[in-house]
Amino acid sequence: MNGPVSRRRPGATLSPPAPAPEAPPVPAAERPAAAKTTERRPFLLDFFPLETARDTRLSRFYDRLREGHLSTTRCPKDGQLLWPPRTACPQCHSEELEWVDLPAQGRIYAFSAVLAGAPIGMEADVPFAVGLVDLDGVPLRLFGRIEGAPWSALRVGETVRVESYDVDDSRVFYRFRVAP
Amino acid sequence: MSGRSVAIVGGASTKFGVRPATWSELAQEVGAGLFRAMPELRADDVDSLFLGAAEPERFAFQSHVAPLAAEQMGLRPHRILQRTELACASGQSAIRSAYAAIAAGLSDVAVAVGVEKMNLPSMAEANSAMGCVMDRAWDGPHGATAPPFFAMVAQRHMLEYGTTEEQLAAVSEKNHRFANSNPNAQFFDKTFPRDKLLRLPVVAPPLRLGDCSSMTDGAAAVVLAAEDRVARYTDRPAWVRGTGQYSDFHNLANAGSLTDWPGLRHASRRALDQAKIRVTDLDLAEVHDCFTISEIIEYEALGLCAPGEGGAFAADGRGDLGGDLVVNPRGGLLGCGHPLGATGISQALEVFQQFAGTVPPARQAPDPEWALVHNLSGSANVHSVMVYQRGGAA
Repeated sequence: MNGPVSRRRPGATLSPPAPAPEAPPVPAAERPAAAKTTERRPFLLDFFPLETARDTRLSRFYDRLREGHLSTTRCPKDGQLLWPPRTACPQCHSEELEWVDLPAQGRIYAFSAVLAGAPIGMEADVPFAVGLVDLDGVPLRLFGRIEGAPWSALRVGETVRVESYDVDDSRVFYRFRVAP
Repeated sequence: MSGRSVAIVGGASTKFGVRPATWSELAQEVGAGLFRAMPELRADDVDSLFLGAAEPERFAFQSHVAPLAAEQMGLRPHRILQRTELACASGQSAIRSAYAAIAAGLSDVAVAVGVEKMNLPSMAEANSAMGCVMDRAWDGPHGATAPPFFAMVAQRHMLEYGTTEEQLAAVSEKNHRFANSNPNAQFFDKTFPRDKLLRLPVVAPPLRLGDCSSMTDGAAAVVLAAEDRVARYTDRPAWVRGTGQYSDFHNLANAGSLTDWPGLRHASRRALDQAKIRVTDLDLAEVHDCFTISEIIEYEALGLCAPGEGGAFAADGRGDLGGDLVVNPRGGLLGCGHPLGATGISQALEVFQQFAGTVPPARQAPDPEWALVHNLSGSANVHSVMVYQRGGAA
């Protein structure tokens, strides 16, 4: 059931945002390749979004993720960081938002794990851990998978790093990994 | 409350569970049950129909469901026909919409019905349907469904207040015990003593199987009538006296505190203020125990106890028969199962039957006058509340 997705491959570790010195993005050739697609989930059962400029005005998020950086939008008028990335500010309704890179590290606020009842295409991932992570230095608490340790070894307050990973169809997404 | 007074004057429910029946067959079954339960109701009386249906597109590959439900039930609405969708609160949304339409004079007699078919040959597909209740593009790809989210809520409540697995099990034991007196409940014939609950497999740590409501097929319907039509159907109406709703986020990143549900505080305060009563005046409450931890936080957010004391409130039996008030006498979502669109209707039907004194003694609240019904939806980001008063004058 999980044919096309290569979520178990090691991802590229993301770098912290400017002005901290940026680690060089992982060159494309060194990034783990997606598995050859032999079977696809029907579009309406595929949670991973369409990522290219043909389909979304937020394609820069995925392009930047491919370059090794987690980013989001900020409203220059309000100065408020917005998650998830948006095309219009929910406060002042400006459509002139700017992109900013986010810290690549945070701490677990809460976590659990899916031990049964996974959505289609994710059954082979079970068991997998998920959690809410407070990113360092910014008022954002992001939800995501947590890799790198069994759920029973995770602790609230533990440090995790953001990483990207390849999905099929040249798509990419983000997750967390327990810091070594 | 402005406008005309409105009351629930009757209703019916199918058996909830894993049903060998399609979406349309469940709608037919609840329609037949409704006309059996209300012999004085004529199809032509019903001018409007509001259908609570959360995900018929996902679970039954069916859209345009309101006219389908009307046809299956043998109704021909000629004033308002619509579907209400608010995930787990879709049923209460149908009741609130019917109430608003009647109060405003746009309808005189309306059916609020909820139908959900959730058990599919592929439960992974059904789990995907549950996943797209979340923000599918940002939370969905991580595998977010309700159990891991409410598990994080439970983890934080345990961390912040010392709530225990035994306290969670107290909620589940109570609601499953009440379900043993409700033949329509999914777990009518199954018993769950606390020691058994604490040995059930973990689904999403720290939540075990008995902490989670089920994927359930079922349908329920109630009839709402304007003040001048009520007496045609019953002398034991359940009057709508207050209603409130609050929504404050959707993406999980914007949840803020997981253990404080301000939306429920706001929605219940509005509904109780409209009814001109205090929470301590309530005799019974049907609250949204999609997970055991939900009912514990609902005790707190409703103001039945202080923040952090919900676990003790449960363990001390204060929501049980003989306690402060009776919470979830129907059996709750834990004992009845949770057919999304039907749940809120079934809860309102329980209030009507509690007021009428027609439920078995094992779950009858003593002489109830005031009742509250609560549904949350999604990741507890929306809260919907209604307050009902028994019988008497409009």
